[in-house]
Parts: sequence; structure tokens; C-alpha cells
Amino acid sequence: METELFVRYGPALLYGFGITILCWLAGSIGGVIVGFILACLNRWGPHALSWVIYVYVEIIRGTPFMIQLFILYYGGPYIGLVLSPVQAGITSFVVYGSPYFAEIFRSGFNAIPKGQIEAARCVGMPETRILWRIILPQMLVPITAPLTNFFIILTKETAILSVVTVPELLFQTQTMAAETFTFVEPFLALSLFYWLMVLVTGWIGAKVEQRVTRHLKRA
Amino acid sequence: MNFSFDTIWHNLPYLLAAARWTILISVSGMAISLVWGTALCATRLSANPFLRGAAVLYISFFRGVPLLVQLLLFYYALPYVGLDLPAVQAAILATGLCSAAYTAEILRGALQSIPSGQTEAAYALGIPSFSLWRRILVPQAVRIGMPSLVNELILLVKVSSLASVVGIGELTRISQNITGETYRPLEIYITAAVIYFAINWVLSISGRLIEKKLQIG
Amino acid sequence: MSKEQMTTTADDAIITVRNLSKYFDDFEALRDITLDVKRSEVLCLIGPSGSGKSTLLRCLNFLEQYDGGEVHLDGELIGWQDISHNPRKPLSGEALRKQRQHIGMVFQHFHLWPHMSALDNVAEALTSVKKLSKKKAKEAAMAALTKVHLEDKAENYPANLSGGQQQRVAIARAIAMEPQVMLFDEPTSALDPELVGEVLSVMKDLAAEGMTMVVVTHEMGFAAHVADRVAFLDSGRLVTCVPPEEMFGREPDDARVRSFLQTYRERNVV
Repeated sequence: METELFVRYGPALLYGFGITILCWLAGSIGGVIVGFILACLNRWGPHALSWVIYVYVEIIRGTPFMIQLFILYYGGPYIGLVLSPVQAGITSFVVYGSPYFAEIFRSGFNAIPKGQIEAARCVGMPETRILWRIILPQMLVPITAPLTNFFIILTKETAILSVVTVPELLFQTQTMAAETFTFVEPFLALSLFYWLMVLVTGWIGAKVEQRVTRHLKRA
Repeated sequence: MNFSFDTIWHNLPYLLAAARWTILISVSGMAISLVWGTALCATRLSANPFLRGAAVLYISFFRGVPLLVQLLLFYYALPYVGLDLPAVQAAILATGLCSAAYTAEILRGALQSIPSGQTEAAYALGIPSFSLWRRILVPQAVRIGMPSLVNELILLVKVSSLASVVGIGELTRISQNITGETYRPLEIYITAAVIYFAINWVLSISGRLIEKKLQIG
Repeated sequence: MSKEQMTTTADDAIITVRNLSKYFDDFEALRDITLDVKRSEVLCLIGPSGSGKSTLLRCLNFLEQYDGGEVHLDGELIGWQDISHNPRKPLSGEALRKQRQHIGMVFQHFHLWPHMSALDNVAEALTSVKKLSKKKAKEAAMAALTKVHLEDKAENYPANLSGGQQQRVAIARAIAMEPQVMLFDEPTSALDPELVGEVLSVMKDLAAEGMTMVVVTHEMGFAAHVADRVAFLDSGRLVTCVPPEEMFGREPDDARVRSFLQTYRERNVV
């Protein structure tokens, strides 16, 4: 019975896992990139722009991800934006994640002591070089933990994509549960699986953190 | 397309009525979260390694599994173990039990940020440990943890939208229903977003006021 | 600047400050400061805290935008495009960077970059600003570290250096750029007392080599023995600027200078 179930639903579950990872990775990476650009514009761009960014950050952080997803997926076609479920899922991840990432980067920028940047200006280093050589490498230390934290949050948010029929892990599990009339076991197994994914993400984050803080340890 | 303010105007009463459920779910969830979270935090800090381990495991699990999956598991598993709760109460319970894991960590962080010298000073003065907790540690922990706790409540308002999946008629579910009738998803969902935003905005403003009140000097 | 010119104009001022003023919002931090620093001169700025000495120093390399007056380095106006235009327009980032390469600065809190080794701290600007090859930059950085007696600490990260060593790396970072002048902003104020000596001795060596130095300091001993002139600031004004013998030798005329130095005399510093 068990093996028969696995033979029947194994491929679908595996496919669902693939879609979960795809949405998570593409959404996170896109969110990090857009978030970084937002944080840079906020810091170096014109003043009016930082106001626009502030409003964007507040709106996205003040509303549920599910509603954002619905606006994009169901509302999108009315303004000419027709997306497949997976496309909508990834896009909404980028929209949803980028303000949080922008805030993480902003606090990272602020964590670099002003004197270090002055010291770099005093030897005549250009601003872009200061960003790459002085700010970014050091920023890794204060932002690794909150970044890991948010990657974990996004891992879990992927489950919500099932609501707009993205064929990810939860969606596949629901299909299976409905077809076999077993509910508790599949959802319990699924819970354990997500838990494992989150633990692994956290573990990787901790390893990265160890690495980026090496130079701060006294020998 | 034309943005129909009429649709919004006609359906606003239904959406606002649904928002009451959103608030009910998140506030009740937060109440459970605070009580259960405090207990969890105490367990987490207990000297007994088994209790401590159980708390660590609980916190890790509830923070590691998507709330939506927890909700579904709860929804299907409760009758299985003989508990026949109405859907709303099941959703509130699930939300509270999950949020408690976060609340426990918020409280623990706040407690640990109080300099240990204060505890030593209290012991040096011979203050008993119950008074130490009641008079010195807990009041400070609440003050330190308050911004995070308000944040947690705001988070609960947002995640209460997940209850729509198990059929509870809160703001998101009602928005879906109305959209199904009107075919006006953009108008309805944007209105829902505005209502969510307004609730959270009020919460964060009151949170800041409370914070100011709790601040010394 | 060729060697020949150096000798023929040796007595000329390299930094000229004319009627400098600086406001922080409504607060007048500097008022009408006029001051020259000659080539190879060591000028110490002393005065009570909040008197504006650090602000004056930071105006010299435009870390603070001064509001009125002019600062020239070797005849070139620092920071502003031109001062006849109102409001003043600052130089482009590029031009400002060019100017700052000639002005070394050492901070109270070192401001080393903690994610780079001592050698990389010194070599960074040599590659990114002076465009030296990696190899050339490392050699020059090593030479600078040798000058501050830290050649054996080149691979250490700042976290593994004492405060005195960190400050010497910071000095090496500045001198490696071969600046025309060096600015020191309370270089020993953040150090434990037993580490002050090693930093002052490096600064003394620099002075002996003929480096032009402007030093904000509370080390009256250093001011008395190494400075060519000592300037006293109070409430954003330049009270007096005289050789150290005059400042410390006899009873000063000005009451403010007198009471300031009195607190040091009581601690047997001068």
C-alpha cells in the first residue's frame, strides 16, 4: 500500500519539491537584487526617491503576502499582466521580499562606522570602490543572520503559492490527500519535510556567518 | 480597464464586517501566544534538561513549518484525536500555538539582554528570586520586548489571511467570494490590502505610543 | 612638486587658512580663523574640548564643508569650485579625491578596515587610487609598515593588534600615499597610557624627516618638544599661535590659555 502510494505520487511530489525550490531560489535571488538596488537608491539616490521607496516598503510590509499574490495573479490580467501561476509566484516573491531585503541592506550600510568611510575618502578612494571594498565585505557580518532568517521565512511562504495553483509541494500533497482520502499522515510528513528544509537553510546560514566573521576573532 | 469605485463602495460593508473576523483571529491568537509563549519561555530557561529540550524542539518545529501547513494539519488532525472544534477556534488555536514559539524567543531575548549584574546586585542585597523576577526582570523584559511583540501582533493580522484556506470568512476569504461574484479582483483585493494596511498602521502607531509610555525618562 | 622647488620655497606656507568659518546649523563652530602652516612645520592645535580644533582640522581636507573663508593647499583651493559664486559649489568627487590624496589623515579611533590585514589596509589605496600593481603596492605598503616598525605584523587583522599598533598601521596607511601634509586628529586620545609612547615616537620620526604635520592633541609634552608652533583655540576662535617656548615657557598673557594650561601643570605634564 505504502509503496504503491509512493510509486503513484512520488514523481508528482518530487516535481512539487522542484517547483518549491525553483520559486524559492528565483524569488529570493530576485528579491535580494531588487532589495539591494532599492537600498542603494535610498542611500545615494535623490531625496524624493527615498520617499517613494519608503512608501513602497511600508505598503508591502503592512499587507499579507496572500493579498499581494491575489492582486498580481487575479488582478494582473485586468491591466494586461497575464502570468502563469509559477511566474506570478516568483514575481510576487520578488515584490514581497525586496522591501525586507532593502531594510536589511539599509541597516547593514548603517552598521559600518562612519569613520571607516571617512578614512577611505581621506586616501582618495572613489565611492564605488568604497562600496565594494569597505562597505560590502563588512556588511556581510551584520546582515548574514537577518538574511538567513528571511530566506527561512520565504522557504515557508512558498506553501502559500499553492493557493493560486502553483504546482509546488503543498499543492501536490493536497492533491494526493484529496485523491486518497488520507489527510493526517501526508500533512504530518510534509510538516517534517518543511522543518528539515528550514533547518538546513539555518545550518547553511550559520556556516556562512562563521566564515564571514573569521577576521573578527582574536587569534 | 476602468477602475470601478462603485464596486468598492457597494462591497465595503461586507469587507469591513469580515475584517472584524481578521481582528478577532489575530487578537485571540496573540492572547494565546502570550500566555503559552511565557510558559514556553520559562520552560526553555528551566534547569531541567528534558523540559528545556522539549521547549527547544517545540520552538524549532513551530517556527520551521509553514503556518498554512500547520493550519491544514490542525484542521484535519483535530477530529482524528477526538477534538471537534469549530474551524474558527481551530484556526485561532493553531495561530496561537505557532506564534507562541516566536513570543517565547522574543521574551527570552529580552530577558537575556538585561545585564547579569542586575541579578547579581539583587542577590547581593538578599532579594528573593521570586521578587527578582516579578519586580526587576519581567518589567524590563516586557519593555525591551514590546516593539517585537507589537510586531508579532502585526504579523498575526497578516497571517490570519491564511485562515481563508480552511474556509473561515475573514477578510481574505470574503474578498475571494466577492471577487467570484463581481469579477473585479483588482478593486476588491486592493481594498482588502488597504484595510489590512490600516489595521496594521493603527497597531504600529499604538505600539509606538505604548513604547514611549514604558520608556523611562 | 620637484625637489628643487621644495628647497627654494621651503619657507613658504603650504597650507593657508584665511577667514575660515564653519557653522553646524546655528552653532558657530569656527569663526574667522586665519593661519599658515609652513613646509616641514609641525603645528599643534590645542584647546579645551569643543573649542573647534578637530573641526578646523577636518576643514583642511574638506571632511567638513567650511562655510566662509578659504583653505589653500599649495596654492590650490580645497573643496570648493570657486568661492566667488554664491552659494558655493563643492568640487566633483573626482577632483576632491585628487586633492585628498595629498593630505594624509590619522583619526582618534584609527578607523582601520577590520576585514583587511594590516598590509591590505595600507595597500588598498595604493592599488585602487594610485593604480600600482598588486606587487608594487605590497612592496610600498611593506615599506610604510617598516617605517612604523610593524613589518612583522603585516598579516595580522586589526582585531589582533593593540591600539598603539592599530594607530601605527593607520599612520602607515596615510604615509604610504606620500602626502604633502599629514593631519592628526587626537591620535593618542583613545590609547591606553602605556601605548601612547610608541605612536608619539613614530610621529616624532616623521617630523624629523621633514613631514608637514598638523596635530590636534592633548599631549602637551609632544606639543612642547616636537611642535614648531602651537595654536590655541577657544570657542571656535584662534586665540594665539606661537612657538612652544612662548606657549609653555612663561606665563601666558591670555587668561583662557593660562587657565587651560594650569590644569595640565597641576598634573605635572608640562
